This record gives sequence, structure tokens and C-alpha cells, in this order.
Amino acid sequence: MSRVVVKDVCFSYRSGEEVLKGITLDFDEKSTAIIGQNGAGKTTFVKLLKGLLKPTRGEIYILGRSANEMTAAALAPFIGLVFQNPNDQIFRSTVLEEVMFGPLNIGEDPKGARKKAEEALEMVGLTEKASENPHDLRLSEKKLVCVASIVAMEPEILILDEPTIAQDHAGMAAIRQVIRRFKEQGKLVMGILHDMDFAAENFERVVVFHQGTVVADDDPREVFSRESLLQRAGLEVPHITRLGWSLGRKETFLTEAELIQSLRGEGSTDR
Amino acid sequence: MKTFSLYVPRDSLIHRINPIDKILYTITAIAVPLILPSMAASFLCMLISLSLLAAARVVRQSLPVFAFVFLILCTVVLIQGWFYPGNQTPLFGVEPFVFHAEGLMKACRIGIRVTNVVAAFLLLVLTTKPADLVEELVRRGLSPRIGYVLDSIFQILPQMMNTTRTILDAQRSRGLETEGSLWVRVKAFLPLIVPVVMSSLIHAKERALALEVRGLHFEGQRTWLREKRTYPYSREIRGGLLLVLTASIVWRILG
Ligand SMILES: Nc1ncnc2c1ncn2[C@@H]1O[C@H](COP(=O)(O)OP(=O)(O)OP(=O)(O)O)[C@@H](O)[C@H]1O
Ligand SMILES: [Mg+2]
Repeated sequence: MSRVVVKDVCFSYRSGEEVLKGITLDFDEKSTAIIGQNGAGKTTFVKLLKGLLKPTRGEIYILGRSANEMTAAALAPFIGLVFQNPNDQIFRSTVLEEVMFGPLNIGEDPKGARKKAEEALEMVGLTEKASENPHDLRLSEKKLVCVASIVAMEPEILILDEPTIAQDHAGMAAIRQVIRRFKEQGKLVMGILHDMDFAAENFERVVVFHQGTVVADDDPREVFSRESLLQRAGLEVPHITRLGWSLGRKETFLTEAELIQSLRGEGSTDR
Repeated sequence: MKTFSLYVPRDSLIHRINPIDKILYTITAIAVPLILPSMAASFLCMLISLSLLAAARVVRQSLPVFAFVFLILCTVVLIQGWFYPGNQTPLFGVEPFVFHAEGLMKACRIGIRVTNVVAAFLLLVLTTKPADLVEELVRRGLSPRIGYVLDSIFQILPQMMNTTRTILDAQRSRGLETEGSLWVRVKAFLPLIVPVVMSSLIHAKERALALEVRGLHFEGQRTWLREKRTYPYSREIRGGLLLVLTASIVWRILG
């Protein structure tokens, strides 16, 4: 079933400069990575889905509701967006309050909101920081607070704008965990990513944006095997894929495990 | 960096005048009607300021301000026309709302004065880049630190507007209704104030630190990024303004 339907959507911030030029996409529950050069229009696209911007042409449906006719606040219970820059999102004085803000707004009572906030903080590993001021945290932790504050609202659709930027190993693990949890619950996860390795490893579908249009939309193995197309869109193939090719493989590897298994398998046939 | 200013870029003589001369003009245009309370003096000043606005080709940009002033002045006309204590000569209207000649004259005088002040200010604000004004002041011996504070004020407003927008987006995203009736907007506005002011302060502090590192407090001889601009007719303008001011003071004392 389609969770998100985007029909021929155009958008411009200033008249005459189209940032999105007729995007048509359809999202079911398959987790989707959106990749593309800086300025390709990725953030603009997800802000449109979120109802923060309204398309200059075309239509968007979120779980069957027309996003053009709903305010961002009315869409909030269904679709959550973690902003690219955590400083754009944080405005409460403690981490717990910050995370409780969303659930309280969508009609949760204080006790329930607190419970959900605590669960979300635990999921990203920030339980100890609950009473600190979010502005005093490290950038990677701030970003995780933002993730938690959306997770606590339990939206049907979760969008992460550049979740892996400035993340250390533990932060990456926390984000993987969140993505996995949403996938297990059958919810749609979308991620805007510059980290191709992370995209290849964690998502089931890849959409490539280039100058306001979609130039590729397929499963990761298919997209990442088209090197010339990625190059035209200003993108790299994942390191593992490149390594595999350098080792003379024809197929496209997406994870270390795949490559290792293939190497092992070959080793045994050689012997 | 985007700055908050009403500056309208145009290629006019007024735009090329030294910002300080424009300040002096504004002061004179406001002072003369105070020194000479006759309506003719105020009216003349108003006419001059308005024609200078026209000469600078910024009439269209000043219209919204004048529209607002006009709205306020309408209430002045009503109140003075009806209730001015010196009212004696009824003109038209029904009790108790009868317009009187004296009140209307009074309102007219207020209107001309206010228009004059607003026009003189607009002439300065619409034709001067804040940075140029600050630079000129610093060249004349204003402390660069105060110059920095002035520059910051012009920058902090657009920054606050930007921050407000992003924080509003963050709140809307998490279900706080910010669109709709006035009451909804007021309710959404309150939780905004603290983060917006906070983040502006943080920005100002960061900018101050950045400037400190680059030698804002340096004690020796400074050089300028931009070449000193020469402004036309500076001496003539100052002489003329001084003459007008002296003349009106003399007139006042003699007359
Ligand atoms: N608020 C705005 N006003 C005007 N133009 C904007 C605004 N936000 C973005 N743009 C422009 O729209 C284009 C697309 O921006 P967008 O932020 O969607 O790109 P992006 O794909 O998310 O890039 P990045 O990878 O750098 O985050 C850019 O050219 C940008 O300069
Ligand atoms: Mg972006």
C-alpha cells in the first residue's frame, strides 16, 4: 500500500528558480535512501512531505491525506522529520522536556509523554543526559536528541535528514538501531544521506536527486552499480562496492559481509 | 551577510551624499519647525523633505510608512476635531461628534509636523546603507567598538527573523499549531521568545569572539578595507544647513 504519493510536484523559493522540477514518486513501506549532491533539493523535498512548504504545483498525499490542505502541525502525528541541523530544532531547556514536547502536542497526557520520551532516549542511549540542557551536549548527541524527540511521537513515517553527519561509532549504532526498529514495526523510514556506505547497508531502495529531478530510483544494488550515472549526479559509489570492483568482481557488493563471503567462497573453490 | 535595512539601491544624487550630511539634514528638518512654530515653516520643511524623497526615487518604498502614519493621523483628526479644548467654531457633524475649526487646524498642524519628521527620517534611512553610515562615523573618530555594536544591531534583526522561522518550523513539525487564528498565533509566539533571544545572544557572542581573534581591540594604526569614498557637495550642504538653522534662530529671537 502506498504511504506517500507525490504527483508531479514543483517548488521554488523565488519565482523563476525552480528547486524541484516535477517530482513523481510513490513510497510503500520499503525503507528509502535519498541521495544527491549539495543543493539537489533533497531537504526541500522532505519539507514538502512534512507540510512545512507547500508545492507550487502538483499534489502530495500522506497516508491518503492531502498534504496540500493540511498544516504541518496537523500532519505531525503521521510523519516525523529530523532536521539536518539540530540547532534548528532544539528549543527546550532540558533534554527530557525537548523530547516530551512532540508527544504532548499530539495529545499525549504528561505521564504517557514522559514514558515515550524516556523510551526514545533509551533507544538512542541518552538516558543519562535526560536532565541536561540540550545546548550543552556534543553535536552528535544533539542530533540524537532530535532523533529521539521524533521517535517519541511514534509517527507512521520517519524522515531523517543527514542522520550520520558528525556521528561517532556509538551514534551510528544508535541510528541503525532506530532505523531497524521502525522497519520491524512495518513503518516507512526515509533518510537523506551523503554517506553512501550507510545508505547501501541500511536501506532497501535508493532515490537519486539531481538538480531538482529524480534521475534514478531502484534497489541499492541496481543504483550503486551504475557508476557513470552516479558520477553525473556528483556522487560516489560505496567504498565496499569500489573495493569489490578493484578486486576484479563484476557484481555490486553493498556490505562488508557480502564481500567477505564472496571472497571466502572463491577462496574455497580455488583450493 | 544579510542586514536589516530599508535601504533602496538607486542611482541618485541623494544616494551619493555623505551619510553624515544626511543625518545633519534630518536634524535640521526636525529642528526648524521646533524653532519656528509657524505652520508655514513646518509646511515648507515637509515640502522640501518630500521633494527630496521624490528626487531620490524612493517614493514607492516610503508609501507603506506614510500609509501607516496616515492611519494614525486619522484618529488625531477625529479626536482633535471633536474634543480639542479650544474648540469654539462648530463646522459639521451631529452632537456630540461635531467637528470644530480650531481642532481641525490643530490636527492639521500635527499632521504636517509628523509627516515632516517621518519624511526626513525616511530620506536618511531609505537612501543610506547602514554599513556606510557606520563606516563614515568610525572614520570621524567614533570608536570601532561602538561601530561594531551599531553594525550588529542592523544584523541581529534579520538573524532573529531567520531564527524565528526555523524554530517555528521545528515546533510546527512536532505538532504545535502555529497557523490560523490570531489566538493560535499568539499562543505559538510565546514559547518562541526565549529560544529566539537565546540563539541571537549566542550568535552575537560567537561573532564577537571571532572579531576579537581578528583584532577588534587592536590599539595601533588601523587601515580600511574599503577606500575612502569622497562625497559630493559636503561643504555646501553643511554650510547651507548651518545657515538655515542660524537664520531660523535669529528669526525666532527677533520676531
Ligand atoms: N529558504 C530558502 N530560500 C531560498 N533558497 C533556498 C532556501 N533553502 C534552500 N534553497 C535553495 O534551494 C536549493 C535546494 O536546497 P536544498 O536544501 O533542498 O538542497 P539539499 O539537496 O538538501 O542540499 P544539502 O545536501 O546541501 O543539504 C539550493 O540551491 C538552495 O540554495
Ligand atoms: Mg539538505
